[in-house]
This record gives sequence, C-alpha cells and structure tokens, in this order.
Amino acid sequence: MTTPQAEIEDLIARIAMGDRAAFRSLYDRTAAKLFGVCLRVLNDKALAEEALQDVYCKIWARAGQYRVNGFSPMTWLITLARNAAIDRRRKRDASERRKQDPIDAAEMIADPGPGPAQQLQSRAEAEALFGCMAELPPERAEMVRRAYLEGATYNELSDATGVKLNTVRTWLRRSLMQLRECLSR
Amino acid sequence: MSGPEDTDLPGGWEAAAAEYVLGLLPEDELRAFEAQLGQDQALQQDVEAWEAYFAAFTDDIKEVAPPPQILRRTEAQLFGKPRAPLWQQILPYFLGAVAAAAIAWMAMFGGLLQSSDEPDLWADLETPSRGLVMLAHYAPDSQTFMVRRDAGDYPEDRSFEIWLIADPDSAPVSIGLVDREGLTEIPVSDEIAAQLPGATVAISEEQPGGSPTGVAQGPVLSLGQLAPREDL
Repeated sequence: MTTPQAEIEDLIARIAMGDRAAFRSLYDRTAAKLFGVCLRVLNDKALAEEALQDVYCKIWARAGQYRVNGFSPMTWLITLARNAAIDRRRKRDASERRKQDPIDAAEMIADPGPGPAQQLQSRAEAEALFGCMAELPPERAEMVRRAYLEGATYNELSDATGVKLNTVRTWLRRSLMQLRECLSR
Repeated sequence: MSGPEDTDLPGGWEAAAAEYVLGLLPEDELRAFEAQLGQDQALQQDVEAWEAYFAAFTDDIKEVAPPPQILRRTEAQLFGKPRAPLWQQILPYFLGAVAAAAIAWMAMFGGLLQSSDEPDLWADLETPSRGLVMLAHYAPDSQTFMVRRDAGDYPEDRSFEIWLIADPDSAPVSIGLVDREGLTEIPVSDEIAAQLPGATVAISEEQPGGSPTGVAQGPVLSLGQLAPREDL
C-alpha cells in the first residue's frame, strides 16, 4: 500500500519533528539523486559536495514547511538541490566571469527528451514538459533549459544569443506563457 | 518594476511565477513577487506546478553516490550542536526552558526541593508567522495532557494535531487533536505518561480529523520541549 512517494512524505514529516533516524533514511534514499543534480549544475565535485551539504541542512531546517500538495515530494527535494547548486554556481561564475556558450538557432535540434524513468519522479510531469518544450522554437526552449539547469540569468542569455536583454526577456516570458498554456491542456 | 519598458512585459504574475522558479526575477521584482505570493493562493499553486514540471529537467540525470564523509559532515553540522536548527528558529526562548529545567533539576539534587511528586510539565507552542500561541500542559496527578489556545485563528477546514516525540530517535506519535473551543484535555496511558518528561510536543496542521496516515502531512506549526516550571 505504501508507495515510494508516500514513504518520502512520511520521512519528511518525521524530520520536521526532529527525527534523526528519519533524516538518515531520507539521505540514504535520495542523496545519490540530489548529488547527481548538484554535479550536473556545477560540474565540479568539490562544489557539488558543498552544495549537497547545504541541501540536507535546508531539508532539516525547512521540513516543517513542506506541505503535501499532490506533486511528488521529490519535486521539493530536487528544487532545493537545484537552487542550492545554482546559488553556488552563480557565486563561482560571478568571481570567474565565465563566458556563456552561444545559443545559435541554426545549430539547435529538437530535444530528444529524457532517458529512462526515474523511480521516484512523476512521469506525468516529465512527459508533459518535454512534449510542450518541443512545441517551443528550439532556441527558446534552450533558454528555458539553460535557466533551469545552469542558472543562466537574463544578462547571460542576452550574451549567449546576442539579443538585447529586454527583448530576450520578452521572448522568454512569451515562451513561458506558451509553455504554461500547453502544460495546462 | 525598474523601467517603463517593463510594464509592457507579457504574462503578468503568471509569467513572473515561472521566472521566479527559474531564478530570473530582478531583485526589486523578486520582493514584489514574494509579497504577492504570500497572499495569493493561485500564484502559490502556479509556483508549485512550475517546480514540479521543471524538476523533470533532472529526470535523465544519473544518480551518483556522494562520498560517505558528506553525511558525517552534515550530521555534525546539524546535530553537533546541543539544539536542532529548527528549534532555534521556532523557539528562540528555548534556552530559557532548558535553563529552567536545569535549575529545577539542580534544585532537586541539591535537596532544596524535597518533593517526590512528579512535577507538572509545560511547553510553549508558538507560531509567530500565524499569530498562534498555544500552551501544552501535562498534569501527572490526573494523568491529563492539556493544550490551551491563547491566540491565533483555528482555520475552519483544518485540524491541529498534537504529536509526541519521546526522543530524537523515535517516531512522532499522535496523541490527539486540538479542540476548536476551550481547553483540550486528553487522558494519557501509563506508557505515554512515562515518556513525557523531556519529550518534544509538536503541532501540525492537518486535514479535518487529523492525518489519516498516522504520520504528519504538515506543515508543522510549532515544537516545544516539555519541562517543569516553578512560576506558574
């Protein structure tokens, strides 16, 4: 009767009440996925390890704010991990002034979508997202993807596309509204 | 909004919700958005939906086992201290309660307090963000656990559930719901009574009638540690 999703929700509820055994169980169940996310965003093992530690400290501190909302609890954990990794990535990029890889519409091909299903993440959201992303012009879909996975800012997206910042923002917001409309179909 | 051109941006709050989740909002707009978010449930649902959809970008990211020292470091950071971080946030006055408990303890050992009777136990349960002030009280004489709501609203369509956590390693046990009106009085078993000294009490907000699963579905509104008090 207990689904992996319900088990994760139970663990988060117990962590909210200071249950250390539950904290360790959640870590054992989810750290490899969240470390993978941190590594993907940061592409640097030492920084990813620091980000992962940030993530689990936040989980401990904020478990009481988690609310079962119909989406997978992995969403909450992945969002915390992605945001912690993006924070570190932006700090690093600001100090190193990294140059963005260009986004060139001519070189873009449609995203083939994700690999095999992750055990805990809901497939319904993934299918909807990749289906709707495919309806966007490829260079705009790439901007959305880069903002989420690489923490690209409007400044960086403007550099990467060679388009004025306000124009980039207008484009992206239109694309996000198009995405929203598609996702709610 | 930082300039006239921004007023022409398409999508309004709905597009801003996606920008918020992506971390694209400029500083000044971020503050305005968060103020709006605090009072707009539809916008909160939009944010949650975007988080769920965008999280699918991580679907094809492979799992990588982190080195074992990360868990050790994290646990040391969190539990190496005498108190858990959540308690520090929710109970800034928690040290006072610990000090009071320590004084009562020393007084007992010092022979100043010869009573062999078990003391009454108390815990403050406050949620400043909601203006909720509750007080938990256990009276060993009648073996009754009580909760009094002194301030704050009890939402019509929700129940406040009371949980007992005997020690950091044990799972929370539900001991009942906070009554809507008046003093909540819950007679407890000998088994529960024995666990109460030093235990933590938590209040969570649940669907009407309490969590159907026996585990809190949250959010957790407050935590407090039961301790004796002399000045009540």
